[in-house]
Amino acid sequence: MNTESRKKALRYFFEKVVAPMGFKFTPDAELADFLLEQEVILETKHGIPFCPCQPLHHDRSRDMKIVCPCIPFHREHFDEIKRCWCGLFVHQDIVDPDSLPQLPPHEVGLE
Amino acid sequence: MKKVNMYALSTCPWCRKTKMFFTEHNVPFSSIDYDLADEATQAKISEELDAAGATGFPFVRIGEEIITGYQPERYSRALGI
Amino acid sequence: MNKKFVRAMPADEVAPGGMRVVEIDGHEIVVCNWRGRYFAVQRRCGHMNAPLDIGTLDGKYVTCAMHCAQFDVTTGEALSGPVPADFGGESPPANLSGYLEHVGMQMKHVRTESISTYDTKVEAGWVHVAL
Repeated sequence: MNTESRKKALRYFFEKVVAPMGFKFTPDAELADFLLEQEVILETKHGIPFCPCQPLHHDRSRDMKIVCPCIPFHREHFDEIKRCWCGLFVHQDIVDPDSLPQLPPHEVGLE
Repeated sequence: MKKVNMYALSTCPWCRKTKMFFTEHNVPFSSIDYDLADEATQAKISEELDAAGATGFPFVRIGEEIITGYQPERYSRALGI
Repeated sequence: MNKKFVRAMPADEVAPGGMRVVEIDGHEIVVCNWRGRYFAVQRRCGHMNAPLDIGTLDGKYVTCAMHCAQFDVTTGEALSGPVPADFGGESPPANLSGYLEHVGMQMKHVRTESISTYDTKVEAGWVHVAL
């Protein structure tokens, strides 16, 4: 299966899911492309496009929380840091995604 | 120099940046890619992450300090560089 | 072999975002309407032959209802294979597990192939497909 075709399809589906939540694809095109490519690799291996930066536990109740886009399962955290963990998505008003550090929940006053 | 151990994912660009940070600053470090490890190692790493309340990679231990997420300023401070 | 256009269905019988199956000359074909443009694909999913017309059309992408394989209806290209039923290693009820394991093992070797497409045109209010 063609990776580029799959990346385009994932973009189409994901955009529709994240927009109503106030997110968009990161303007860092290179990063977005790299992450989408990793998700295609993961989808080819596991049948599901998982987050490239979070651990799989082979336990449905945990792994479902990192199926991309995983924003709904980490809403408070991601809204606080204005990005998702891997950085594929950022808040819609973000033009400089490099300015968003990758901080875990307990470092932004959560959990 | 404090010991630096990290856990990463082969699919994670921030983990690559983290490894590059240590390499470029000539800091010796050990690293395990969680997704490429065997089941037993994965279980051990998973336990460590859970114990630290970490849900993502990179997971870096510098001496006694645990830093989750790509945070080069904190690495520098922890290493005193 | 020369293809010629044959009448498939009235154009207004498949609305934007919709799909409808038709059989012509032994060919089971699904006509899809993507924003007013018509595309036609084989009915059978390229994974395990489930009928795509009971799946979902979103934009130009059809998702099979059976195992969620996805295809681009404009090219027939297979984009992704099945989503595993045992995702997450959940254990099914004891009396089913042996059967499911057995089926799962067989299904692991099934490739998801791209699907055939048929040229379409709209004329006099009818969608035509080329066979």
